Formats: sequence, C-alpha cells, structure tokens
Amino acid sequence: MDAISFEVAKGEIVGFLGPNGAGKSTTLRMLTCFLSASEGTAKVAGFDIYDDSIEVRRRVGYMPENVPLYPDMRVVEYLRFRARIKGLGFRETKRAVSEAMDICSLSEVDKKMISTLSKGYKQRVGLADALVNKPDLLILDEPTNGLDPNQIRQSRELIKRLGERHTILISTHILSEVEMTCGRVIIIDRGEIKASDTPQNLIRRLRKPGAIMLEMSGDAEKAKLKIGGLVGVKEVRQIDGRTDWATFSIATDPHVDVREDIFDLAQKEKWKIRELASRTASLEDAFVDLVQKAPSSQKAGPQEAEKDESNPVESDT
Amino acid sequence: MRTFLILFLKELRSFFLSPLAYVLLALFTFLNGWLFASMVNAMRLRVSARSLIYNLFESGWFWMGFFILFPLITMRLFAEEKKMGTIEGLLTAPVRTSEVVLAKYLATVVVYVIIVLPVFLFFPIFQMVTGEEAAFQSGALWGSALGILLIGFFNVAMGTLASALTSNQLIAAMLTFVFVMLHYFLGFIHNFGIVPGSVWSDSLTYFSTKEHMQSLTEGLIDSRPIVYYLSSSVVLLSLTHHVLESRKWRV
Repeated sequence: MDAISFEVAKGEIVGFLGPNGAGKSTTLRMLTCFLSASEGTAKVAGFDIYDDSIEVRRRVGYMPENVPLYPDMRVVEYLRFRARIKGLGFRETKRAVSEAMDICSLSEVDKKMISTLSKGYKQRVGLADALVNKPDLLILDEPTNGLDPNQIRQSRELIKRLGERHTILISTHILSEVEMTCGRVIIIDRGEIKASDTPQNLIRRLRKPGAIMLEMSGDAEKAKLKIGGLVGVKEVRQIDGRTDWATFSIATDPHVDVREDIFDLAQKEKWKIRELASRTASLEDAFVDLVQKAPSSQKAGPQEAEKDESNPVESDT
Repeated sequence: MRTFLILFLKELRSFFLSPLAYVLLALFTFLNGWLFASMVNAMRLRVSARSLIYNLFESGWFWMGFFILFPLITMRLFAEEKKMGTIEGLLTAPVRTSEVVLAKYLATVVVYVIIVLPVFLFFPIFQMVTGEEAAFQSGALWGSALGILLIGFFNVAMGTLASALTSNQLIAAMLTFVFVMLHYFLGFIHNFGIVPGSVWSDSLTYFSTKEHMQSLTEGLIDSRPIVYYLSSSVVLLSLTHHVLESRKWRV
C-alpha cells in the first residue's frame, strides 16, 4: 500500500473499489488490527488502531474475504461463541444471537453444522457474526463474492437495510454492487486512491462520449458517408454487413444526440431501420479507464475531511 | 480471564467433538496396556533389579507412543486456523493474543493429561487384581506422574510453537516429532560418537528427557527438572506469542 488517506463519516455506506490485488483487503485488515502499516495510522470511532487495538476491535464487525468459519460447529453455537468472545454477557448473547439470526434469516438453519451449509448461508452466518455485538462500523470484504445472482440481490438488500443502523465499509470489485448500495465510492488501484465520490458523480465525471447503434438495410457505403456528414458525428464504423442489414456504431460528440437526424435521413433515403439506440457508457467503463491508466497519472490528493466530527473511521496509512 | 475461559472451553470442546481425542485415548491406552502386560510377563520370567514403574517408563516402546502423541494433539492448534483463515476472525475479535495462546495451550495439556491418565491407573488395578503388595511404591508413582506432566507441559508448548510457525499441519507435526524425539534421545548422545564424560556429553545429557525421568521414576523429586520444564515452556509460549504478533511488526 502506498500512502492513502480517507475518512468515513458516521452512517455512511462506503464502497471500496478496486481490481484484484489493488490493496483493498490489506487496507481492511489494517483497519481491523489484523495487519499493521509500516507508517501512518488510523482511528476508528476515535480509537487508534495501534494504541487501543482492543477498543477498536470491540467497535468493528469484520467479515473477512471468503468468510472463514469453523466447519465443525453449529450455526447457533458458532454465533454464541463469537458473541461471547466479543464481550457480550450470557443473557445478552442469547438475545443478540437470535436477533442477528433474524436479520440474516438464519433461523431455519440454526442447528445445522456450518460445514453442511451452502455458500449463501455461510455468507449470512459471517454477516450475522460481524453484526452480533452491534458494532459502530461494519467492514465487509467482498460480501457477495461467489454468490448466485439471486443471493447477491438478497445480500444487497440486507446491506442496504443494515446501513440504517451501522456505518458500513464494503470492499468489492463488482461495480453494480457499489452503484446500488453505496453512498460513496473510493476507487483504489496499486495501493493508491484514484477517486472518491458518489457513484452518480463518478459516472458523470468519467462517462465517455456515448455511441449510437444503428441497424438498417440499404446502400451501406452511401449510408456511411451520409451519416458521417451529420453535425456532431465523429466517426461511423460498420460492425456487420454480411446480410442485407448493416450495423453501424456511430461515435458522437459528448451531449449531442443525433438519433433524430438519422431518422430524418433514413426517411429521405428510404432506408429501413431495425434498431436505433443510444448506448451510454457505464460506471464499468469509467472504472476500467481509471484503473488502466499508468500509475500516478491521475492521483487524488488526500481527501478533505468530512463535516461530521464523530468520524468512525479515519485512515492514514 | 473471562475471554480466556470461553476460548479454553471452545478449544477443549473441539477436541472432544472430533474423533481425534477418543481415537488417541483408545489407541494409547491399548498400546500401553499391552506394554504393561508384557513388562509384567518379562519380570516374571527374569528377575529385575528395577521396579515395574522404572521399567515401564524406561522402555523405548513407551516413548515411541509419545513421539507420535505430541505432534498429533498439537499440530492443528494454529496451523488449521491459519489454513482455514479463521485466525483472522479470531484475532480481529477483541481478544488478546496471549489469551488465545494460553487457552489453546492449556486445553491441549488437559487433553494430554486425559490421554495418559489410564497408564497411571494400571498400577493400582494391577495391585488390586494380584494382591501384590510391592507392585509399586507411591513415591515412584507420583514422581513419574510429575515427570510425565512436566514433559507434557514442555512438549505441548513446543507443539504449539511449531503449529504457529506454519499453516501446514504436516510440517507442524514433523517439527514437533523431531523435537520431542531429539530431546529424548539426547540421553543416548554418548552412543553417537561423543566421548562419554566429556563436557559435551554431560551437558547434552543433562537436557535429556530420559535423564530426568530416570530420577523421577525412582521417586527422587528433584527441583531442577521442574524449573527446567516450566521455564522452557514459558519461553516456548512467549515465542509462540511473538510469532503470532509478528504479522503486525512495523519495520
């Protein structure tokens, strides 16, 4: 990890985004006091991760990558054990565990051995473990890794709901996940912060000029020339022309929509149109763009402090 | 203390929830029972100047079992958690590393005691069955029990360290095996080309498990092995602690 610096304010859901090997897990492990940085420090809920490691760990619920669990324990047994070592009393433990199992819908598997559970259930056991002692901050390392689409949707819903009660820091390399759940995204690559903003702002800032797809029948060569002559069109590329139908990808200047012009043109020239659609760039494109640039070509400086005084996380590693 | 107890009980349960402890208990008792019976037989056929207790604990067969027992009960302690990744959950919970080390260590010592306990029941049972008055002297029995306990403290500490060093249980087991065996065979060092009576021979023999056991099985309770085993165990455990904390060292 290079020098990175960021803050998470109370109540935020922050997505920690980066390609594999970018240093997401390493950063999270530092915040949970599992690893340490050679320089710098971080504060969680006002406690230093080195000086008050135990206090920090009391306030953080952590779900490590791939959700390691003891396979030879039953779900309820495991959660009780975890609640107990996190400092809950005997009575509290019972209540907290059944509450956590309710939140994560684990009640029907409470007596099952963890080794017999499906991946989705294991993930939920890990989540229940992380939130069993009602920590201020939840740190989830790739919480939807390896789940099927249905389970991913469920766990997203769950994370959104948890965001009402906890501050959440999620690491992931899945963009749509961040787009849907997080209020803010921090993109890191090769140990550096590349961007930190709301998903909407990031898309707006990083969106590339759109492209228009056109599928039509008629004289392809002539069409290419005519469309190329329209105002705002930068490039016309024929993708496919094996049949009577030709497909074009038309690059335009940003914020210019030439679809109406193309339609008028088609009427005039008596072309038949099967498809005329605008393809906008997604966050994914923006991300790929950002991450593939050479190191240090676009380096974000230290992020300015959030307004909230009671910052649960403040990292400067 | 509270956290220690929770971790200790969890560790103990995981021994007895898996078949490992039962299998070891059964096999170890069977092997030593057989050994005991053949010792008695041998002493019936040939007069021995030594007591039954001395002969049993002096026997290489008895130690063979020990060389295997220690690796088997200690290898999974940390290596398994490292392999499965559960160590991350464990050490990011608000627990002290020293509590984790002690809980795992003492739970294993308890398992060890349970496994070797039947051996000490052989003697009273033998006396009850045969009505033989002189089957054993209680001093020798307590002395050897103390020896076996001390060796347990020491070797389990070694196994705990070996397990913390690697995420591969086999490597941990082999490290412990070699260590336990070497420590015992130091007593035979003069057979390996080192002149008996030389400084080397004497000082190495002085560390040997075999040497300590001999005086203890004669009922001679010497404070030196007690101090030696307990202090070495403390050193090994603190090394284990450092090994686990080393991931957090800041250069």
